[in-house]
Amino acid sequence: MTSPAPYRLPEAAGIGRLIDRGQPLAFTFDGRRLEGFAGDTLASALLANGERLVGRSFKYHRPRGIVGLGSEEMNALVGIGRGPAHEPNLQATGIELHDGLAAVSQNRWPSLAFDIGQVNDLFSRFIPGGFYYKTFKWPKSFWHHLYEPLIRRAAGLGRAPTGRDPAAYEQIRVDCDVLVVGGGASGLAAAEAAALAGARVMLAEAEPRLGGVGDLYDGSEDLPALANVMVLTRTTAMAHFHHNYLLLAERLTGDNPRQRLWKLRAKEVILATGAIERPIAFANNDRPGVMLAEAVRGYLARYAVAPGRRGVVFTNNDEAYRTALLIKRAGAGDVTIIDGRADPHGELVDEARRAGIPVMLGHAVSQVETTLGGQAIEAVRVAAYRPGISRPLREQKLPCDYLAVSGGFNPAVHLWCHNGGKLRYDTRIHAFRPDRHHDRLWAVGAANGTFDLQQAIAEGAIAGEQAAARALGRPATASIVMPKAKPRRQGAIEPLWLSPASGHYHDGHKHFVDFQNDVTVADLELAQREGYSSVEHTKRYTTWGMASDQGKTSSIVGLGVLSEATGRPIPEIGTTTFRPPFTPLTFGTIAGALKGPLFLAVRRTPAHDWQVAQGAMWEPVGQWRRAYCYPKPGETKEQAIAREILAVRRAVGLLDASTLGKIEIKGKDAAAFLDRVYTNSFSTLKVGRCRYGLMLNELGFIIDDGVTARLADDHFLMHTTSGGADRVAAWLEEWLQTEWPELQVLVTPVTEQWAQFAVAGPEARAVLEALALTGDSDIDLKPDSFPFMAWRAGRIGGFRVRIFRISFSGELSFEIAVPARDGMKLWQALLDAGKPHGITAYGTEALHVLRAEKGYIVVGDETDGTVTPRDVGLDGLVSKVKRDFIGKRSLDQAFLKAAGRKELVGLMTEDKNEVLPDGAQAVSDAAARPPTPIGHVTSSYLSPTLERSIAMALIENGRSRMGETLSFPLAGGKIVKATIVSPLFYDPQGERQNV
Amino acid sequence: MSEIVIEEVSDRGMIDLKGDPAAPGFRNGVASVLGLDLPLEPRSSAASGETTVLWLSVDQWLITVPYDQAGQLTARLAAALAEHHALVVDLSDARTIFRLRGLGAREVVMKGASADLTHTDYRAGTVRRLSFAELAAMVHVVSDTPEILDLYVFRSVGHYVREFLETAARPEARVVLWGRSE
Repeated sequence: MTSPAPYRLPEAAGIGRLIDRGQPLAFTFDGRRLEGFAGDTLASALLANGERLVGRSFKYHRPRGIVGLGSEEMNALVGIGRGPAHEPNLQATGIELHDGLAAVSQNRWPSLAFDIGQVNDLFSRFIPGGFYYKTFKWPKSFWHHLYEPLIRRAAGLGRAPTGRDPAAYEQIRVDCDVLVVGGGASGLAAAEAAALAGARVMLAEAEPRLGGVGDLYDGSEDLPALANVMVLTRTTAMAHFHHNYLLLAERLTGDNPRQRLWKLRAKEVILATGAIERPIAFANNDRPGVMLAEAVRGYLARYAVAPGRRGVVFTNNDEAYRTALLIKRAGAGDVTIIDGRADPHGELVDEARRAGIPVMLGHAVSQVETTLGGQAIEAVRVAAYRPGISRPLREQKLPCDYLAVSGGFNPAVHLWCHNGGKLRYDTRIHAFRPDRHHDRLWAVGAANGTFDLQQAIAEGAIAGEQAAARALGRPATASIVMPKAKPRRQGAIEPLWLSPASGHYHDGHKHFVDFQNDVTVADLELAQREGYSSVEHTKRYTTWGMASDQGKTSSIVGLGVLSEATGRPIPEIGTTTFRPPFTPLTFGTIAGALKGPLFLAVRRTPAHDWQVAQGAMWEPVGQWRRAYCYPKPGETKEQAIAREILAVRRAVGLLDASTLGKIEIKGKDAAAFLDRVYTNSFSTLKVGRCRYGLMLNELGFIIDDGVTARLADDHFLMHTTSGGADRVAAWLEEWLQTEWPELQVLVTPVTEQWAQFAVAGPEARAVLEALALTGDSDIDLKPDSFPFMAWRAGRIGGFRVRIFRISFSGELSFEIAVPARDGMKLWQALLDAGKPHGITAYGTEALHVLRAEKGYIVVGDETDGTVTPRDVGLDGLVSKVKRDFIGKRSLDQAFLKAAGRKELVGLMTEDKNEVLPDGAQAVSDAAARPPTPIGHVTSSYLSPTLERSIAMALIENGRSRMGETLSFPLAGGKIVKATIVSPLFYDPQGERQNV
Repeated sequence: MSEIVIEEVSDRGMIDLKGDPAAPGFRNGVASVLGLDLPLEPRSSAASGETTVLWLSVDQWLITVPYDQAGQLTARLAAALAEHHALVVDLSDARTIFRLRGLGAREVVMKGASADLTHTDYRAGTVRRLSFAELAAMVHVVSDTPEILDLYVFRSVGHYVREFLETAARPEARVVLWGRSE
């Protein structure tokens, strides 16, 4: 049984509006079982239980408590969920309590209350801002192995989850006319006005309900149900990009999906993001129990949580008086107001006086006194204050156990600034507010520095109406006008950034500016003394305003401190950059549905299922997965590859070549076009015949190769490499559309239409003849009527096919193309017809060894984007008679013809069983230090055909080094010796394919 | 709320046509075979009987007909356009078509798409090539009421798109935009 929450006030009018006392919920914090109510946030439930200490700070490991009410919270970052479902660095103020919630504190060891790391606080005079730039410099190797790991362990926030996140995430792409960010009073007014004007409106509100903080001020308004308004609650606008493209993260209540990312394009964006209360820098202003005044009021009004037994409100403006008034009204103990202003005149000030609340004007809190290692406030010290005071002389003690602070309000301008919006400093509110923006962005209400409720509502409504009109392309109407009624009389805010202490800034008198990054007034002033006069440099040197918080509470306070330290006005100092995301965003939301089986769209050929059933090993080729080899039970990968190769050389093999790119090219200029894109000639190719082509870029380097068949006089079918299909199609279109629009050529990629299988080996023709007997056939397969490098269309075994008699293995070989939906049937028919001939399915590795035995290049292995036809010994394919082709002029550059270029050669290792690793470097002298590399291995295999290892390599002047033995030093000191030979290892006359 | 039904359409043949619609006689040549005029308005389509022509680009169309008629129709089109600068290819097996039925089909596709299909631009008959789940794809709005969308993707990624759609369409992840539900 848990004891009743000690700080939860009994039911009374005006407090606890959001909680349902009839629905208690159990949750744990660091394993301890606690109780809250439905409607609580984790923060309110913790406070109700008197859990003031919720985390340790980033650098000094100081005890920290809850400071804020919403997204401004910088201290209370916790982790929720266990194991793989764990999510760190969540703001306790944004977590809705549910039964069984398990939350843990962060950055403490061994426990939150007793944390070893807090010794950092004692040594803090040795680790000021920027300390890591000055220390840990020597010896050099220590940074990597000792200092950095230690700092990383000591500093930091939560721990990463231990495995894959089991929750589901998704994304959706939506457009709207008007997006309103923020469902407070002005945002609701904007959404309603825009919707009534006929626009398609989306309203995003980060909290579970609409209304913003109106309930903590002068009230709010409702949004009528309108069909053209889509309301997203629990949805935070994370980022604003060019042309009003925004990312909104919606938190759903379950795990399936857990979050949804809205990728939204809005014609108009209205920011009604409100304002963020800021703290004041005084000594030990980070102690648990020091909270923002609005937050104290919020926990009391919404969740009936008493901030303590006896409190102090410290302010420089009228709004915080509301907090004292509510505490008084709710009977939540005594409270005293400390106001830095000497003579404020506002209705709220008068009201507080009438209510009998003690008010000390012209005073400031100068120190917070605590017990239990800083975990419990005992009293505050108060001293007379006037702007510019350097050190208080006399202090008095006020016993209290909490402190509500308000240093004024900053319009939440983050989204305004994400994509270049300008700000101006407004001395009426002593904060930056939106100025100009290049995009169609509006800021209304508190986000625009308009804090009066009636004014904010009117501002929202006017913006909504005008934005809708502009989005819909209508002239702006003006049915809504600003209210004439005078706003409530309110005393002016006076800047109060730093309240000096009687002691030094450090030694237990730290004045925190940025709580999340442990940046103090002393750090900022030190940065100024050290010459970091640019505000961006100060930010980087001290880490002020960085990380997940992005300076929500610290930015203006820090600027105020810098202003006082340098004597420059705040607008002259300028602001630092605000970066997305607005609050921490989990990686799952960024990935969306694209994880697990949807991580990548892997392309499958029509024979894929058969290959899976055979237990194929796979190789990624572009987005395709191709069968690498087909090991039989008990067979190693190497044994399988050797078996497949020998089957092709001795009998017949079957390869799935469907992934090869296929492009149809047609038009009266098609032949001329191909003459320009290939180095060799295609206008001379006869209909019914095929030719291998070599494709260069403008620089003269090989980018693709493949066989092209002439289907008709004006009609060709080009084959490309598997990975190059899309790139080559785009390349062809680019030349046709941008360089040679006068050519009458049409290009259509057809890769996906066809399944294509290679039947290769001495028995290939016999297999096709057997297939022909099984059904309708009209293709004459005899060597005389179907010669090498010819193609035929027709029927075989009942299949509608194109057959190309081409070879990448050096054997007699036919590639049969069939419409994809018949692919699996044809594959099976070939296996059946080939069975008596020992047909063997072979994968890409066998394919590669077979071609290497023949010295054929693979684009991407033997070429790397800097290799010319001459380099790989294919000069013969470069036409000397054609007037032009892409890359021709570059091939004439002196340095591409000069001696010393790397040339393709074959290699035979001294030890025939030694297979050189791919990429191994040849050196001119293995003993030299350092050795001079002269080339590298591009392909290397164990050839079962030749019963020895073979390799291809690009070697400086390689072709003139025939017979020379080169040294290849490998990792570990071993040196492999290999002799340069012709890369044509097998059947140099090419007799086998020509039968 | 009604369920979104996803099924693969396997009985459609697809013919890719390229040519210059401004060339004299080209459109008449096509119309003489298809019995309907090529749609020239960007992102539009035209249909007659069992033939639907989808606009792909200023010089490209996808003609869908019953699968077993595609081969013959390709030959007839090629013959009719023999004197023209045109390319007719039977690509009946190059794409997989997923048909999504039910109010909310648009939202399901939008979970992978680069466009908002609830926009008034996307009424019945509209064709839009877009990126879907980071893949090249095309949406054809077949009917507004009942809501029917055809999603065209390349065959080699059909298995992936099926899984994506089924994931996106699961009832727990239902998205209703601007009250688009019965």
